[in-house]
Amino acid sequence: MLRNRIIPALLLRNGGLVKTTRFADPRYIGDPLNAIKIFNEKEVDELLVLDIMASKEKRGPDFDVIQQFATECFMPFCYGGGITTLEQADRLFALGVEKVSLQTATASSLDLVSDIAAKFGSQAVVASIDIAKSWTGSYQMRWSSTGATDKHWQRHMERVVEAGAGEILLNSVDRDGTMQGVDTKLIGTAADIVNVPLVALGGVGKLEDVREAIRAGASAVAAGAFFVFHGKHRAVLITYPEYAALEALLNADG
Amino acid sequence: MISIVNYGIGNIGSVSNMLAHIGVKSSLASSIDEIEQADVLLLPGVGNFGLAMQTLNKLGFVDPIRRKVLEERKPILGICLGMQLLSRASEEAEGVPGFGFIDADFVKFRPANAALKVPHMGWNTVSVRSPNPLLPQDGDEQRFYFVHSYYARCNNPSEVVATSVYDGEFVCAYGRDNVWGVQFHPEKSHKFGMKLLRNFAAYAC
Amino acid sequence: MTDSPRDYQVCTRCVMDTSDPEITFDEKGECNHCRGFDQIAPTRWFPNEEGAQKWQAIVEQIKRDGEGKAYDSILGLSGGVDSSYLALKIYEAGLRPLVVHVDAGWNSELAVANIEAIVEHCGFDLHTHVVNWEDMRDLQLAFLRSGVSNQDVPQDHAFFASLYRFAIENGIQTVFSGGNLATEGIFPASWHGDAMDVVNLKAIHNKYGSRKLKSYPTISFFEYYFYFPFVRKMRTVRPLNYMPYDKDAAMVELAEKCGWRSYGRKHGESLFTRLFQNYMLPVRFGYDKRRPHFSSLIVSGQMTRDAAITALNEPLYDATELETDINYFCKKLRISREEFEAVLAEPVRHHTEFPTWERRQKLAKSAQAALEKLRGRKISVYS
Repeated sequence: MLRNRIIPALLLRNGGLVKTTRFADPRYIGDPLNAIKIFNEKEVDELLVLDIMASKEKRGPDFDVIQQFATECFMPFCYGGGITTLEQADRLFALGVEKVSLQTATASSLDLVSDIAAKFGSQAVVASIDIAKSWTGSYQMRWSSTGATDKHWQRHMERVVEAGAGEILLNSVDRDGTMQGVDTKLIGTAADIVNVPLVALGGVGKLEDVREAIRAGASAVAAGAFFVFHGKHRAVLITYPEYAALEALLNADG
Repeated sequence: MISIVNYGIGNIGSVSNMLAHIGVKSSLASSIDEIEQADVLLLPGVGNFGLAMQTLNKLGFVDPIRRKVLEERKPILGICLGMQLLSRASEEAEGVPGFGFIDADFVKFRPANAALKVPHMGWNTVSVRSPNPLLPQDGDEQRFYFVHSYYARCNNPSEVVATSVYDGEFVCAYGRDNVWGVQFHPEKSHKFGMKLLRNFAAYAC
Repeated sequence: MTDSPRDYQVCTRCVMDTSDPEITFDEKGECNHCRGFDQIAPTRWFPNEEGAQKWQAIVEQIKRDGEGKAYDSILGLSGGVDSSYLALKIYEAGLRPLVVHVDAGWNSELAVANIEAIVEHCGFDLHTHVVNWEDMRDLQLAFLRSGVSNQDVPQDHAFFASLYRFAIENGIQTVFSGGNLATEGIFPASWHGDAMDVVNLKAIHNKYGSRKLKSYPTISFFEYYFYFPFVRKMRTVRPLNYMPYDKDAAMVELAEKCGWRSYGRKHGESLFTRLFQNYMLPVRFGYDKRRPHFSSLIVSGQMTRDAAITALNEPLYDATELETDINYFCKKLRISREEFEAVLAEPVRHHTEFPTWERRQKLAKSAQAALEKLRGRKISVYS
């Protein structure tokens, strides 16, 4: 039976792993290579690594470091951050990266999405969309590299999928790092718009939140804080539920 | 020593990496010579059936591979698109023949249920249907990572090695004699993939 | 290695041998380590009813002192057997420790899983201190290039420094240590200096490091010998010396109660320590840490000498595992395999070739002796 994927999301900043809260206040989590090695040994479904400074600093992916990461994991590995050309994507796939996540590149044109999809297949391209609530309470897209906002997020989602994106990474800025639960309304709205798998990220604080996100329409659920923090002091400790626990959680849904 | 056919299509990095991790020697076969000298072949592949066969033809790899498999009877394992290429044909590329080692062809998933998306992507369980050198028939449940839009239809039931379920049951591994193919990605399926590749190496090398 | 002209000799009682250049043997062929253990054990090791009573008294004292405070003690949890078993016993004694894990970037998955298991079972509130990896890497490379034998200093010093700082910040005076005579009674001093020697650490880093350490935690000589013990009145307690402690039995108990999993033969909590102790130390320095470890178990009655000799004949590493570990090591430290091999082939240096705090220690010890004479009783700081 095809099971919904549960994906640790790791944020890279200046070579180290960090965890943000609402996309701010990055807290140092440690060496990314060791974290990836641990997740690999915990046999996670998939890994997502995002370089949160690459686009802001106008640089491309650090291929050497990504190669280190790719050789430490034996499951699908999705990388995002600073990808602006087909050559970069090509190089990433050759290193063993399974999927690339694009955000900043999609602001100016969708050609890169189409080009990668044409050459490597739609399933290799993930379009990453960050959503925050405006002061009026309505959802809008936020471009992480510039901070610019755009209320036409739904139209943008449709367009990237039309252009060939095989998956959407939907990130709730307001829930990020809070571990207070996922935004089911946002997930539900987004899932209704497109036909490709939706990966929901932001807000998971307990296992039941994963189920909530799936019920709301997510095909897969990603989480950061939930897998790197432990207990009320948010002590850094890498965890991932046992397969049996995940099976029980998700099969209960049928 | 496993020779991974390097025709510019497919995830050779991850495959070599996993083989190295489990202590199995491998090398890339990037020329006709290297294919002709190989003892065991591994055919990876991701993407389009037509483009893959075209590329193999252009590189002159088709005949050496055919000789290796049919005349020398050397073992070959096809992964994902590589598995598909071992068959007769795929709907994805009308009129383009595959190697034809296995009596099967590939058709696209067309789920009636709108909730089932294409490609079939993610971890799925696999049921072993006949004795084979890759997967044990009994024992713990096996799961692997799949990402594909076309699935196999086997004409010869004795060639069915394993099935999985997505919009119905479909063949996800087939083989006979020295030819084996798996639809899923062992190199992305951590301990399950390592076990399968270890089994293949033990059988083939 | 050392170019000692001594003939090879191994103790007739334990398995320490002349790889410890300072070892001496008596007329029975028994070594100074055995003798040392025999002298110390009666005063510090109580795996019996007397120990149980002493432990009970200590527990009650800690509870009294800790009344009204958020925590009554502090415990460092590495995920290894000693600290895990200690955590379990502390929990069963009803104490309320602040539990700290110091992450130096080399945690194995098993260490992390075991920490999770212990913390969940005991209901502790975990704190972690993540050492900045770039600092750690630079320091470890410096030690690697320096050729000194105690390559574990960067991890060990960070561990204790973080632990003590957490204790200070939270007003805690009782520091629990998993140190124990049952399994660590014997260790050759000649094999390395003290991990707490910050003078030595900084000297080595100054010479071989390539960047300033930005946030690596350290403890100064003054803090370690005076401020913490006399001003903040911190005391280290080693509970495992007050109860029978057999590692195998402890692992079974941990597995049954908490779902803790064993690391197998090697030091599995830290991937660095695993490679260092099982490969680099024997290959580059000629020290097999199994010798003092097994010797400790022999003198404490947990292992027979014959079993130790047999075990010593087993290889430390399996070839595929070694390759994997070396590859990972080089990846982490961002050095090439060639560099790694080259460093291993370089001559070794004794840690005393760099400045140490031994002079300050001698001064402190004479001061301590003088004070004891004045007060007429012993001052025990680090028991």
